[in-house]
Amino acid sequence: MQLTYLEAIRQGIWEEMEHDPTVFCLGEDIGIYGGAFKVTDGFIDRFGTERVIDTPIAESAIVGAAFGASLTGMRPVAEFQFMDFIGCAFNQISNMVAKTHYLWGAPAPLVLRGPSGGYVHGGPFHSQNPEMWFVHNPGLKVICPATPYDAKGLIKAAIRDNNPCIFFEHKYLYRRIKEEVPQNDYVVPIGKARVAREGTDISVITYAAMVHIALEAAAILAKEGIEIEILDLRSLVPIDREAIAQTVKKTNKVIVLHEHSRTGGLAGEIAAIINEEAFDDLDGPIVRIAGLDSAIPFSPPQEHHYLPKLEDLVRESRRLKAY
Amino acid sequence: MGNNKRKSKASSNGRNSRNGSRSTAARVGAHASSAPERSSSKNGGSQQNLRTYNIPDYRLEHPQFEIRQLTGKDKQGQEHVLYEVSGDLDAPVPPIRDSKYLDQQQAIEIYRYMLLNRKMEIALENLYKQGKVVGGVYFGLGQEACSCASAYALDKDDWFAPMIRNQGSLLVRGFRASDTMMQYMAKADSPTKGRDGTSHFGDIEKRNMVSPISMLGDLIPVMSGVALGARLQGRNIAVMTYIGDGGQSTGVTYEGINFAAVQNLGLVLIVESNLWAYSTPSNMQYRCKDLAERAIGYGIPGVIVDGTDACQVYDATHEAVERARRGQGPTLIEAKMMRMKGHAIHDAASYVPKSMFDFWKKRDPLTRFENYLVKEKKWLSQKDNQALIAEVEIVIEAEREVAVNSPMPTPESAEGGVFCENGCHEIKPKYGIPKVKKGTAAYKETEAAVHLK
Repeated sequence: MQLTYLEAIRQGIWEEMEHDPTVFCLGEDIGIYGGAFKVTDGFIDRFGTERVIDTPIAESAIVGAAFGASLTGMRPVAEFQFMDFIGCAFNQISNMVAKTHYLWGAPAPLVLRGPSGGYVHGGPFHSQNPEMWFVHNPGLKVICPATPYDAKGLIKAAIRDNNPCIFFEHKYLYRRIKEEVPQNDYVVPIGKARVAREGTDISVITYAAMVHIALEAAAILAKEGIEIEILDLRSLVPIDREAIAQTVKKTNKVIVLHEHSRTGGLAGEIAAIINEEAFDDLDGPIVRIAGLDSAIPFSPPQEHHYLPKLEDLVRESRRLKAY
Repeated sequence: MGNNKRKSKASSNGRNSRNGSRSTAARVGAHASSAPERSSSKNGGSQQNLRTYNIPDYRLEHPQFEIRQLTGKDKQGQEHVLYEVSGDLDAPVPPIRDSKYLDQQQAIEIYRYMLLNRKMEIALENLYKQGKVVGGVYFGLGQEACSCASAYALDKDDWFAPMIRNQGSLLVRGFRASDTMMQYMAKADSPTKGRDGTSHFGDIEKRNMVSPISMLGDLIPVMSGVALGARLQGRNIAVMTYIGDGGQSTGVTYEGINFAAVQNLGLVLIVESNLWAYSTPSNMQYRCKDLAERAIGYGIPGVIVDGTDACQVYDATHEAVERARRGQGPTLIEAKMMRMKGHAIHDAASYVPKSMFDFWKKRDPLTRFENYLVKEKKWLSQKDNQALIAEVEIVIEAEREVAVNSPMPTPESAEGGVFCENGCHEIKPKYGIPKVKKGTAAYKETEAAVHLK
């Protein structure tokens, strides 16, 4: 069945709620309204007001309550209306949820999910990619799917996981991409990358919406005889070191592409992993393509300038190929 | 330094309704309500919509202090800013209020836990002086009645989360004194195996305790979530935690209580008004007269107790716990007392006016409760009391031995355990599989809202 990215997430959560009575949802406006992006549309009619809970506008309370419920063996799925607002609950996530298993051995099987990402002119408080706040925060799994198939398989895996998972849904992709998604029960393992396109010349290591920019660039570059390989990380924590090393060993040249700001971004970490795992295989410098080191601006021309673009990847690929 | 001449009078039944006019309606706990009552003013007109609220007050005295920052000169003529207190600091010590619920044996049991609490902290202070403690030691001196009597009101299936000074609560819930001692000494056998100190540990299997973190207020929504999880599994339980007059200033405190209130969850929040948040007096934390008044804003019952009176603390907590179990939602209990040491062992609390220490020293919860049991109620003979004290000392000494003899953790034990993996925990609902009711509505295929595009 052809599903959009958003429908795939909805179906994944729906199926988990159908088969596991310990799964429930909480968040702002997720009930009768069905969520700001309608991910939980219709859930309250099916699963009732007890399992689909509209909360006050209180992100720390949402995370705290989800965490508390998880300690009793429930599997809460908490929605952030926009992932930008996850900052309001930062202490609860960073100091309470993430450290629990390490410090006192209590598992916290909960999912914090919501829309992130730019390209929709949401402005500085509705377009952010705050995943790195949590990558540098041991104890949390960080998941960033790029396709409907992965979105459904990964949200189901996150709900079944015994650890706190932060699930970033790229809002640009919600309704823009559609693909065949199996109707049967399946999960995509957390921590495994996927080769989105095979190639021989350059590895583009990326995730989420950037995967689709990379696919577009690949089509252009292929006409010039440059075959890029696209590695879709899918999970940032745990990160698939093996897949990173493998693609570098194959192409010997690397571009890391991500939407969030360059400094302290994931590209730096990937470059370090490549140094550790495949330094001798490199035939050129690791190239970073990333958002600017500023807040993400509102006005379309400014946002366009801030974010990585198709032409950036095409240009840098040509340059690196010639290196 | 002028004394405040205003003295509050307890009402004849020992309760004092904060709004005075409706003292007969001032019932504690189960009957306490923050629901507004229409004023019965005969003046009509503009007063028709006046609403009154009750904050039941269990206390037998109502001390009023004012603390101000003043500039004074030292012997060398140098100017310094210091705190000065005014108020009736010579007021006589009120009696312990008879409990409506506690029998002789229960009262003695609480007293024993308070003794254990006190003696354990003395042992901790000595361990610190011997250089055996890593970091500081936090004390609940003067707050033992609040910790022990509140925890005593819980049932086995209820949950709780202590704050740093509620080391007595841990003892009541069945943790050993050596658990806390080993936490302070960062030992391999401590509940966190050296990974955290103080009362920062938990147990979701047997004792239903959530580990605190150092950031204040975050436990409140967490405990609300515990109650939510239990309710989804078909059980109304009480979930109790504490917050200080300093900690309640945090935003997450508001979020957590409000969440419990709108969801009608069985949160029992003990607000420990101990007058000093580190070095900052409570009047620099909040403007309202009593923190129990905050309950009105949350739409939940709030009550005030004397935190140095174990019977009052127990009764108010017991009633709040009963409400929680009946599914009637959260209760805020303000326990008034004073932190009788510094923030931690390094802090001599020289900023606290000495007269305040003197006032509260006379209200030492342990001494008062001992006198009450031995002299007033004659529930405990002098001889039995001495035997009890001796027994507690033996227990603490044995616990100290256990703690001291535990090894330090290996350096490598810092690794691992970040994630729950390879089947390290089996996760199942604690109170049974939730009974889910499903509507007839089918899966809805809808286009996403065009929120942003």
